[in-house]
Amino acid sequence: MPDNHEIADTSAVGALDAPLPRKTMSINMGPSHPASHGTVRFNIELDGENIVKLDPEIGFLHRGFEKSCENVTWQQCLPYTDRLNYVSALCNNFGFLTAIEKLAGIEIPERAKYIRTIGAEIHRLCDHLTCVGAMGMELGGFAPFLYAVEARELLWDRIAELTGARVTTSFGRIGGVERDLPEGWVQKVEDTLVKVEEFRHEIDELLTHNRIFIDRTRGTGVLSAEDAVDFGFTGPMLRASGVDYDVRKAHPYWVYDRVQFRVPLGTTGDNFDRYYMRMAEMEESISILRQCFAQMQPGPHIVDDWRFVLPPKPQVYSTIEGVIGHFKLIMEGVKIPKGECYSFTESPNGELGWYLVSDGSGRPYKVHCRAPGIQMVGALEHMVKGSLLPDLIPTFDAINMIGGEVEQ
Amino acid sequence: MTDEKKPTAPSEAVPAGSVSGIQQAPTTTPPADAGQRPGGEARPAPAAPPNVAPASPAAQQAKPGVVNATIDGIPVSVPPGTPIIEAAKSVGVDIPFYCYHKGLSIAANCRMCMVEVSNAPPGKLVPACQSPVAEGQKVTTNSPRVLEHHRAVQEFLLLHHPVDCSICDQAGECKLQDYFMEYDHDASRLDMPKWMKNKRKDLSPSITLDQERCIMCTRCVRFMAEVAKEPVLGAFGRGTREVIDVFPGKQMTSNYQGNVVDICPVGALTSRDYRFRARSYFLTATPSVCTGCSRGCNTFLDHFQGVPYRYRPRENMDVNQYWMCDIGRGSYHQLYEERVAKARVGKGDAVAAEAVRVAAEKLKGAGAAVVVSPVLSLEDAMAVMLVAKEGLGAKEIFVSGRADETGDDFLLRGDRNPNRKGVELAAQAFGLAVRGWNDLGKSKAKAVLLAGVDVPAAPEQVAAWLGGLDTVVALAANDGPVAQAAHVVLPLATHAEGEGTFVNFEGRAQRFLPAYPPRGDVKPGWFWATAIGAELGLAYRYASAREVFLEQSRRLAAGALGTFDWDDAPRDRIKGVTPLTGGTVDGRPPGWRQLVPLRTPNTAA
Repeated sequence: MPDNHEIADTSAVGALDAPLPRKTMSINMGPSHPASHGTVRFNIELDGENIVKLDPEIGFLHRGFEKSCENVTWQQCLPYTDRLNYVSALCNNFGFLTAIEKLAGIEIPERAKYIRTIGAEIHRLCDHLTCVGAMGMELGGFAPFLYAVEARELLWDRIAELTGARVTTSFGRIGGVERDLPEGWVQKVEDTLVKVEEFRHEIDELLTHNRIFIDRTRGTGVLSAEDAVDFGFTGPMLRASGVDYDVRKAHPYWVYDRVQFRVPLGTTGDNFDRYYMRMAEMEESISILRQCFAQMQPGPHIVDDWRFVLPPKPQVYSTIEGVIGHFKLIMEGVKIPKGECYSFTESPNGELGWYLVSDGSGRPYKVHCRAPGIQMVGALEHMVKGSLLPDLIPTFDAINMIGGEVEQ
Repeated sequence: MTDEKKPTAPSEAVPAGSVSGIQQAPTTTPPADAGQRPGGEARPAPAAPPNVAPASPAAQQAKPGVVNATIDGIPVSVPPGTPIIEAAKSVGVDIPFYCYHKGLSIAANCRMCMVEVSNAPPGKLVPACQSPVAEGQKVTTNSPRVLEHHRAVQEFLLLHHPVDCSICDQAGECKLQDYFMEYDHDASRLDMPKWMKNKRKDLSPSITLDQERCIMCTRCVRFMAEVAKEPVLGAFGRGTREVIDVFPGKQMTSNYQGNVVDICPVGALTSRDYRFRARSYFLTATPSVCTGCSRGCNTFLDHFQGVPYRYRPRENMDVNQYWMCDIGRGSYHQLYEERVAKARVGKGDAVAAEAVRVAAEKLKGAGAAVVVSPVLSLEDAMAVMLVAKEGLGAKEIFVSGRADETGDDFLLRGDRNPNRKGVELAAQAFGLAVRGWNDLGKSKAKAVLLAGVDVPAAPEQVAAWLGGLDTVVALAANDGPVAQAAHVVLPLATHAEGEGTFVNFEGRAQRFLPAYPPRGDVKPGWFWATAIGAELGLAYRYASAREVFLEQSRRLAAGALGTFDWDDAPRDRIKGVTPLTGGTVDGRPPGWRQLVPLRTPNTAA
């Protein structure tokens, strides 16, 4: 039942002459709404057109992912991580593997670090394209979305050539990546990046100076730097509020300390800044990719240690050492030393953290995922309270909530 | 284990402060009434048990008969003569080994357990299984030299090992696999063809030897000579051509030969009963008790998806040490062969509740004779006798059970029923006179309640006799002439499907745990007894064997079960790997059921 916020005192003399009691209206938005991406239901209380109260109800994509991990080997968790943020699966794959490697004390080969950086940056592009495209579409402009999806599709083709799958990549192994870059792939990506730059430019032209888009995004969903930090924001949402924190710069991993890139910062912390963070970061990602291609050298793509990595197939089929290594890693899993760790990487929407506990067996004792979106969904009411209902749309768009990772 | 301490004669008294270990084996087992083996030779006592009683070093110095040393920096105090490997185990340091076995003499031929000790000649490693702990000794088990030695031994043992894991029964419980991942984990350096040896040599109708897989630890040779007392195995040849074999013209015939499969650290010796029927890593091992005879050897029952695959002995120095006999080992077949899955009234299947109602109606006031099988657990027996006494007004019970056969002087008993003592205790508790099977024929009863269909006579004869009675109600686990002669059959759970207690011939109560849930309408004996009792108007209602025990065991004579505590059950259940589904629901390749036919499709398939 809606709360009555201001109810006229009808018992008073002449009450009938008093203005009508102003009741708030309770409306329900979602879980599938044409003006939002992300499967979430909002219980909204409106006073007229203004939001009085907003209660996001998540859980429509809950699969018990963390618990499921406890029943499978460490390596078998990888397909589950694909389904966290399914637009940028490689960031999740590699982030999870990096956490396991921290726990096991494995140093992966140089080339694997470059391949991981390349994969993660391509998927960062995909994620940002999806976010800005969907944001434009949900604010009324359909063309940017088509350009964004066209560009994303080109990149996903490259990902499919690398991993065998467009979305659910399950790429990467404990100790490196499953296989080296395909022949001629680098040149194909270079060509694709030129096209992606063109599409990015088109979207930029269509949205960044678009009067309607600016009206809907500028000054809406504003969050101060202090509040953003207090709520636990990370990623573009935090940087839009002017806080200079990017895991890739603050705690460099893989090869981020060897490539040059800038961390764009916003000034006002409104939805336009959040949009523009992503547009700017796409440029940086393209630059990082080109630097990686220029820097990377041939070499092994996975560590040579049979405690963690499956033996090469010829050895498995013809030697007892190989068949034992294969059998033990498949049936019992990679034995990760007893202990616990927290490891984090910069995923497109913010810090993707992994808290892992191992009891020394081949299966995780506990897996916890710190998804970047959950804190932002939690702050949604704070950002839109008192503002108009239409302001909810760009604010929720800018969060880029992914149900798969928010609802573990 | 929760076993009641066996009544100990003075000569068998366990020294204070010492865990019951192998040192006592010659005096505590075989028990006094089992008699000595021919030749009167005591079983070998190769190792003294570790004493891990913590005490300050000063106090230990003062104590006579204690040796102090450090293992990887951890202080340890043990009785003199304790091998380093046992002392290390007592403080949580695992030293790898293949040939060492607590129940056998020391061979020290696998060279896997070599460690560094402070009092060895310079540059020498010593075998931890053979070297007793010395006063003030410093033992190092994880130095680079020791680890390099483990790696080298592991590489050497695998050098000519066949590429067999995929077809080997031992895969998943193989020490070669475990130690390879721990100490070697590197590629083969062999650049020549592997030596070929005999891959399937039948040592007996139940044991097959694969000489290629053998690592020549000689555990089997020592077992056959020292424990089974049938020295027919030997090591033949030298060097790379050395093989295990039986002496010419001989065969393994011992009733204890199955143990060589258990103690074989690799897949060289395999059981022909178990061979190629299951993958050991899928099997869940539930602590259980063998029902083959009244010894009650402690076992693991290995099962997968509700089908038992084998028994393995579980260490209990007071009952069976580390061993069990082949007759007991094969008794798991009864757990799934020819099972009764549905309640029956007359010749047709019936709804369970209806069958219980008919059973109670027929038994009521019929002056039925109650026959209890000593294969039933103590809880089942007590529940049946409760109904016999209070619901049917019985004054006596008849004990059926499997017929006596010849026992031996080691583990196997002549009485092939696991719980005769328990049934007698229960009858005594309820004030019921115990009558033998032969007295049943003399009784004038025209109605019989058979709790368990194990009979000491030819089943066909028994069935013919039962055919002349007015009413026969049977709780039956296995189908056969006796169950088919009954007018009402209630499907009875085996000990693998329920939990409870067996009291062995020496009065030792032992808990067994449920391995897997029963199928169909199968229920434990206490359930059927309580259900019939309820139809007869009794007020007893039980939801578990535990409730039956806690309430009804109060009637037992004081101290009848010693210090037995029902809730203090063995906890060492070992869960198998949950197979990932692929094609079939249990992850096995399609058609595996055709490859390995289970003999009772109605219950086990």
